[in-house]
Amino acid sequence: MTKGLKKNPVDFLFGTLTGIASLSVVVLIGGIFYALLSESKLAIESFGVFKFITTIDWDPVAEVFGAATTLYGTAVTTALSLLFAIPVALGIAVFITEIAPGFLKGPIGVAIELLAAIPSIIYGMWGLFTLAPIMEMYIEPFLQSTLGRVPGLGILFEGTPMGIDLLTASVILSIMIIPFTASVARDSFNLTPPIVKESAYAVGATKWEVVKDVVLPYSKLGVFGGVVLSLGRALGETMAVAFVLGNNHQITTSLFDAAATITVSLANEFTEADTDLYLSSLYYLALILFVMSFITLAIAKFFLLRAERRYSR
Amino acid sequence: MEEKEIEVKELNFYYGQVHALKNINLPVYKHMVTALIGPSGCGKTTLLRCFNRMHDLYPGNRYTGEIIFKEKNILGDDIDLIDLRSRIGMVFQKPTPFPMSIFDNIAYGLKLRGIKKRSELSERVERALRHAALWDEVKDKLNESAYALSGGQQQRLVIARALAVEPEVLLFDEPTSALDPISTAKIEELAVQLKEEVTIIIVTHNMQQAARISDWTGFLMLGELIEFDRTDKIFTSPSQKLTEDYITGRFG
Amino acid sequence: MNIEKKRRIKNLAALTLSSLAALSGLFWLVFILGDVLVHGIRGLSIDLFLKDPAPPGIEGGGLRNAFVGQLLITGMATLIGVPLGVLGGTFLAEYARGRRISRLISIVSDIMVSVPSIVVGTFVYAIMVKPLGHFNGWAGAVALAIIMIPVVLRTTEDMLSMVPWTLREAAFALGAPYYKVIIQVVYRGAATGILTGILLSIARVAGETAPLLFTSFNNSFFSWNMNEPVASLTVTIFQYAMGPYDSWHAQAWAASLVITVFILFITVLGRLLLRWRFGK
Repeated sequence: MTKGLKKNPVDFLFGTLTGIASLSVVVLIGGIFYALLSESKLAIESFGVFKFITTIDWDPVAEVFGAATTLYGTAVTTALSLLFAIPVALGIAVFITEIAPGFLKGPIGVAIELLAAIPSIIYGMWGLFTLAPIMEMYIEPFLQSTLGRVPGLGILFEGTPMGIDLLTASVILSIMIIPFTASVARDSFNLTPPIVKESAYAVGATKWEVVKDVVLPYSKLGVFGGVVLSLGRALGETMAVAFVLGNNHQITTSLFDAAATITVSLANEFTEADTDLYLSSLYYLALILFVMSFITLAIAKFFLLRAERRYSR
Repeated sequence: MEEKEIEVKELNFYYGQVHALKNINLPVYKHMVTALIGPSGCGKTTLLRCFNRMHDLYPGNRYTGEIIFKEKNILGDDIDLIDLRSRIGMVFQKPTPFPMSIFDNIAYGLKLRGIKKRSELSERVERALRHAALWDEVKDKLNESAYALSGGQQQRLVIARALAVEPEVLLFDEPTSALDPISTAKIEELAVQLKEEVTIIIVTHNMQQAARISDWTGFLMLGELIEFDRTDKIFTSPSQKLTEDYITGRFG
Repeated sequence: MNIEKKRRIKNLAALTLSSLAALSGLFWLVFILGDVLVHGIRGLSIDLFLKDPAPPGIEGGGLRNAFVGQLLITGMATLIGVPLGVLGGTFLAEYARGRRISRLISIVSDIMVSVPSIVVGTFVYAIMVKPLGHFNGWAGAVALAIIMIPVVLRTTEDMLSMVPWTLREAAFALGAPYYKVIIQVVYRGAATGILTGILLSIARVAGETAPLLFTSFNNSFFSWNMNEPVASLTVTIFQYAMGPYDSWHAQAWAASLVITVFILFITVLGRLLLRWRFGK
């Protein structure tokens, strides 16, 4: 191959062109990091690192900015959505790989892929106009009158249910990440050699026992990678939550309160930022989000690659 | 005359539209080794997988006829597959240890059956490992991953795992095809010893292996059982021309 | 209760639960799509496609500007993103095949596929909006292109790797230089797969909103000028949905329906192409 490169000038040109094109992703990733860093310089100099992430105030008028509220909102929505999504996604993966009769496998698989293809703005629309009213009128009052009465759990369900809050945002987010988690889990399950599953059946295991004792241990690296991948998605999702979270910078224990995430603040405030420090602080948030998701995705990739390598033998 | 453990009567098997086994009639004698031989694609593995209803895991498979085991037709709809599979164990072409420790691999089937007492588990794991001639090699590393063992050891581990639940029949599906000659010899020796306790049906593509370890041999071709007889008879004076051609290596 | 019975009940419970999980996946899909369909059809009219927006609060008008703007931005993004992606993928699968650099770029691309799209928006704002002092359509197109590149690059790499090496050898044996082998033989062998990748990447960016919010921004007027702010369906949906007027909401639903149908159509088309090519 390399010999050809030297001999033929057109080949050299074409090869170089492709090389430059492929380097563009590396340049872009580096460029994003550099641009975010330099844009947030002003805010980093004004607030430092530790102070910024621990400050609860987000006050454009007084020009005091801290990331604590948005980080809190991001953490709560991400954690809750994973909590809702993981069991369902694993269930779907089990259904597709182990239970579904042939004629159902296709349709369910397609449904999951379509669910993944629906753009997030549609989830947002649906969340705002359809899900939020349902949450407000039925689900949240119900939760309040049941779980809300349980001592200790009560603080999670305080206040007047409005539908525009942490809980609704988390539910939408979870519906969005279910397909990702499910399809990675399905692919990992499929890496289990059929012969190993058969030998578990051959000792008289039930289907559930085969899944629990053979398939899950076999695919745990891949499944874990898939969960971390979904975590990355949930961290960075904007539009699905922007409609229903209310962009209210506060730290609240009740899931029925409006809140803000990094993405929602960016979407709502970026074009309104009227001072350099305000804009720089928003860039600082974007930088934190970028670093968090980069690390998350790198971890996910690490586990997925290991899973692949381990079982592709 | 020997006692029959299993009797196959008029068995037909279909993969969707494909008629894979045609009118098979075959006795399996108790505490004997029965070998199934034939060219690849002849249906020997398909037949073997009928005995523990492995085919039921996949859609579109269909049986007709009967396989009588303990006076019941195991192809019937009323058969409890979990129970059946714990009485008829199976060992596959490749070693299939589960992703757990050596001890847990052996104890797996026992735990499924509700045996929780550590002392009883230990005792039965040891017994199974001794039966599979593996105890001396692994007794000091029972808690290590089963993947750490060599291929031959893994295959004996899988045999021990099948033995632990004390089945009446063991199905071997080309158990030595992935192993080196020394490991193969150990497995063969083991099969011969094991027939004291269990009935063995073995599928093999290796005719010498069938001749060495089996008492009875069935020769299959294109889904039909061409000949079934005592192994020495099959290998010295087969009654069918096809069998003779196969034995003498004219095809296959 | 005996152990056998317990195991059976556990098995049944687990299987029932995972079947329910699968059903719930179907449920959400039908719920969301049905909702978009029901609301969207009500807002559909010829005017939606042929007229520009009426002043806020006034009934009537359409979203012609946003439809055209969306096509413009997505089209330009495709023109920028696809060549870079395909060429980049070619480098990984051909010239750098099996080298460490190829693996590294591959992994970086995978990570980049999942970088939050709003972060891409802030990045493009910094390099293309702030220096110019105003929002512009090109910035929107570049933001979408940045999202497309890694997607196209990775599918191209995968699809080229699936072309058997012997095919290349056969072409080499005829004395063809590598670039000719790639363009005339390998691309042809992988064409359907690459096309699918391109389709899916278009489907992916056509629904993106966050990266457009502070790049192409929005424009209530019809405009072909990519140096000015350009309207897009998605940003319009966001703005209208959050706005106070019922007529806006109706139009936002109609626009949602159009964009959903478009994206699902492309997605299904891509899947069908793939299935037809690799016949399963």
